[in-house]
Amino acid sequence: MSLVPGLGMLRGMGLTLRRFFEPKATIRYPEVKADVAVKFRGRLQLLYDEYGTLKCETCFQCAQACPIECIDMGGIDTKGRYHVHWGPPETYGERREESALRRSGRTVPDRRFTPFDPIDLTAVDAILEKYDFDPRHMLAILEETQTAYGHLPVAAIKRISHTTGAWYAMIYGTASYYRHLRFESPEDAIQSASLDVRRPHERAFAGALDAALVGGRGTGGAPGADGSAPGRGPARA
Amino acid sequence: MTSLLRTPAAWPRVLLGRADALAQDPFDIEAATQAGAFRALRTVVRDLGPTGTIAAVAASGLRGRGGAGYPTADKWRACANAAPGVRYVVANGYGADPSARTDEALLDADPYAVIEGLAIAAYAVGASEAFLAVRGDRPETAARLEAALAAAEEAGVLGEDLFGSGHDVWIRVRPVQGAYMLGEETVLLKALEGRRGQPEQRPPYPTERGLHGKPTVVNNVQTLAAVPWIIREGAAAFAAIGSPAAPGTVLVAVRGPAGAGIAEVPLGTPLRELVGLAGGVGTGRQLKALLVGGPSGGLLPPDLLDTPYEFGALRAAGAHLGSGSVVVADDRACILDLARLLTRFCATEACGKTIPCRIGTWRLVEIADRAAEGLQKPSDPQLLEDLAHDIVASALCDHERLATLALTSGMRYFRAELDDHLLRSSCPAGVCQPIAVTATAARQELPLR
Ligand SMILES: Cc1cc2nc3c(=O)[nH]c(=O)nc-3n(C[C@H](O)[C@H](O)[C@H](O)COP(=O)(O)O)c2cc1C
Ligand code: SF4
Ligand code: FES
Repeated sequence: MSLVPGLGMLRGMGLTLRRFFEPKATIRYPEVKADVAVKFRGRLQLLYDEYGTLKCETCFQCAQACPIECIDMGGIDTKGRYHVHWGPPETYGERREESALRRSGRTVPDRRFTPFDPIDLTAVDAILEKYDFDPRHMLAILEETQTAYGHLPVAAIKRISHTTGAWYAMIYGTASYYRHLRFESPEDAIQSASLDVRRPHERAFAGALDAALVGGRGTGGAPGADGSAPGRGPARA
Repeated sequence: MTSLLRTPAAWPRVLLGRADALAQDPFDIEAATQAGAFRALRTVVRDLGPTGTIAAVAASGLRGRGGAGYPTADKWRACANAAPGVRYVVANGYGADPSARTDEALLDADPYAVIEGLAIAAYAVGASEAFLAVRGDRPETAARLEAALAAAEEAGVLGEDLFGSGHDVWIRVRPVQGAYMLGEETVLLKALEGRRGQPEQRPPYPTERGLHGKPTVVNNVQTLAAVPWIIREGAAAFAAIGSPAAPGTVLVAVRGPAGAGIAEVPLGTPLRELVGLAGGVGTGRQLKALLVGGPSGGLLPPDLLDTPYEFGALRAAGAHLGSGSVVVADDRACILDLARLLTRFCATEACGKTIPCRIGTWRLVEIADRAAEGLQKPSDPQLLEDLAHDIVASALCDHERLATLALTSGMRYFRAELDDHLLRSSCPAGVCQPIAVTATAARQELPLR
């Protein structure tokens, strides 16, 4: 507040007046693009709501949803030390609920949520017990779970996530990377078959190489139209 | 299993020296001990100590057999000098290349040499826990190795209080499977942590921040199996084998039209002799190219047959030691088709973490595909060159760098044949479809080239 009433207003109008006579820079986007630095990706900023509280509630949903672990959260605690995660992972769920409650007064169910098939969890529990709920043995846990159930059921991955503290998205990311792990039983082999076409097994390579060496026709490793492994075309001697 | 090839009797044998003596049952610890296993470990613990051991390995000039040829002693020293605390040693016995089974052959023929070398490495860098990573799709190998480790612990040459030194060395077998990339060291460490197999930025190198964030040495099993021999026979004896820049022997998997198998050869052996081991090319055929280094290897022409099989010389020639595989292609093969197959394999197996890996490798495949189908563009040769250069310059791991080798070495040595594809839409070998049809038609009228 200025001492002379109305001075602030005059100053403001002055600025408007000055801008009024300046040349305009209207860019006819998207035909014309603004000149920005090569690496400009837009400014990242955490926003505050009308009460001045940070809109990000550190609910970790974004970090948990990214299957390749792109998003990480961290911050400075009251003693000025940097931590990558805010608080123990067990509390993320609580915080998420708390965040939803605070916004709306009640928990908000996700309408797109579909319940997964319940399964008998004794087998996965025994496996978890055997590996002492240690997420560092995740591959062995997943492999044995697959042996027990024939594939990796969602309910089992949820159980593994809850008991080991590893995020569901991380387990999903791991399980989807390794070629021998699968999310559906081989009987409903839609996914498995399409995976084989997109990522032919290493072993198929040896066969394809053999074919290429004797002038196999049309190889080059392209998967056959029938979904067969690459390079199995008739060899010409 | 691939058979072992006969090599001249005069060639020194470091890795498979005991294989014949142990042929009955390589996993029998009594026989192995009688043949000299664990003597070097005792010497190391009783007499040499960690610094003495690293000095002996340094004097031998041993370089990593995993492909890159990094001096082993430097790696160990870096890890031993890292901040005090827990550290690990990992033996890389994954053997990623599906066409070379050299590491498996070693683990089958003389498992105790690898185990002893791993124990020596662990002792030298001060690790009490070591892992032996093997292929998970061969469960019987893992089971036999576990039995071998149990036998060694029972015999008192492994485990608690190594030879009364106060050091513990525990070795665990960890089977991993599910991707080609698992052979790469940082990816292997991720797999051992139970995570997605994607490489990490280096530095920090694993020797600084590796398994579970602790300093870690990752060595190929052949590297480790050479260590007990060096301690037993002396560093000077090892340094005298092979080429001065890269002493010692290495296992190669040679595959040709006339035969295939694995052989132990001194580093620096000319490629010509390796081809000879597998019987050369068949009668009436001509040698066209050598694929050296596995799926991500380079294609070398017949005039480079005198290149010594050794890290530096191969890199200079545009190939690399890689998985230790040498594939002989005769005149039936089409260079473009071969390069295309290799590049496609590398692109399929790329992990997807970075842009050169996820996108760059596929753009390479597309250029090769276009050329094979007769849909090439005039700018393709230049595009190929630029793209390969950019991939090499911006790669995160060696996989995408090496993925360019097949096409770049093809362009370097087989330019005429690739130009037939790229500029004249013809395939001299008559392999590529549909342009092969054009070629056969054209061959009758116009002289090509
Ligand atoms: C794509 C790729 C695959 C690899 N595969 C293997 C492998 O199967 N076995 C291996 O020992 N090293 C492999 N390596 C090399 C390792 O990254 C690492 O350099 C090696 O294990 C280190 O051991 P050394 O010092 O004894 O060579 C691979 C590297 C790359 C880039
Ligand atoms: S990797 Fe995918 S999921 Fe993760 S932040 Fe990027 S776009 Fe989102
Ligand atoms: S293969 Fe993906 S970063 Fe190297």
